[in-house]
Amino acid sequence: MEWKLFANLKEVVGQSEVEVDVQSGETFGDALDALLEAHPELAAEVLNDDGELRDHIRVLHNGDNPFVSAEGRDTELEAGDELALFPPVSGG
Amino acid sequence: MHVLGVVGPSDSGKTTLVERLAERLIDRGRVATVKHLTHAPDVDTDGKDTARHRAAGAATTYGLTDDEGWFATGEDRTLDEALDALAPDYDYAIVEGFSDATVPQVVLGDRDHAGPELAAAPTADDVDVDAVLDALAGTEPRETLESLVERVKRSPRADRAGAIATFTGRVRAKDAPDDDPTEYLTFEKYEGVADDRMETIAAELEEREGVLDVLLHHRTGVIEYGEDIVFVVVLAGHRGEAFRTVEDGIDRLKDEVPLFKKEVTVDDEFWVHERE
Repeated sequence: MEWKLFANLKEVVGQSEVEVDVQSGETFGDALDALLEAHPELAAEVLNDDGELRDHIRVLHNGDNPFVSAEGRDTELEAGDELALFPPVSGG
Repeated sequence: MHVLGVVGPSDSGKTTLVERLAERLIDRGRVATVKHLTHAPDVDTDGKDTARHRAAGAATTYGLTDDEGWFATGEDRTLDEALDALAPDYDYAIVEGFSDATVPQVVLGDRDHAGPELAAAPTADDVDVDAVLDALAGTEPRETLESLVERVKRSPRADRAGAIATFTGRVRAKDAPDDDPTEYLTFEKYEGVADDRMETIAAELEEREGVLDVLLHHRTGVIEYGEDIVFVVVLAGHRGEAFRTVEDGIDRLKDEVPLFKKEVTVDDEFWVHERE
């Protein structure tokens, strides 16, 4: 699975796309854990003291928020899914 | 309006390629071309009436005929100004010889250039015109407030429209008198998802009673102080729903669309969400 990172999160890691070794059938939470284990510097940016995503950090699974439109961390992934992690949007 | 540049050394066939591209693009829409000149225009020479107008200090001079075309000359015009003026009325602009322009370019003979490279080849004869046209269709069109307003005026629903309301967001220098002046902003976009979100917002707003067409456009990349960033244009039956929809359109765009703004001032640079 591939994660796309944006803005300061991309700069912290030094790349805009990160491949993680998570297979079809595993969950969104597995993919998030794999990303943050591979990049602890990113974990420091996006997790609070309880190890949960900070309120202002946004995630998308194929363009939709899995915590709103699916099963959150338990959302099952399929091959080729696109995952995204980003800070608050600031267009306009 | 889609913009396509052709750059290359003088013997690489730039103009031949511009001809081939223009001949194809006229089947798809209205085409404008712009040529970079390294000498004064010789379209109206010393002694002509129009040259005398210019010599007398006119900043712009038009020569118009009844049915044999027209020309214009003027003092100062940048490529950006020329393209913004063309954008409302043309579907394509091909610009020849502007190596410094940050427009999508076809690059002949390894010419140094700014702007993304759509294709590269030694000479015009080596260019796959079909591939260039396909690549051009995937580029971000150049939009201005005027080009978006013209588009809604040509809407099939315009016969029921008594109002067009617009919002333009631009780069301000300061938010308070003692702020460091902003030099430019750069916007990063989540490709694909940002455009889908904007289409969804526009489609949902168009479902409102009395709202006919909604256009949202956000520029990306480097945007300098004073330049426009974002436009919302609403075509509606009456002013009330037009004003409300413009406001809701820009508010939703700012809340929902994955775009990220970095600000560069005279002494600093930072992601804007980290200061808010």
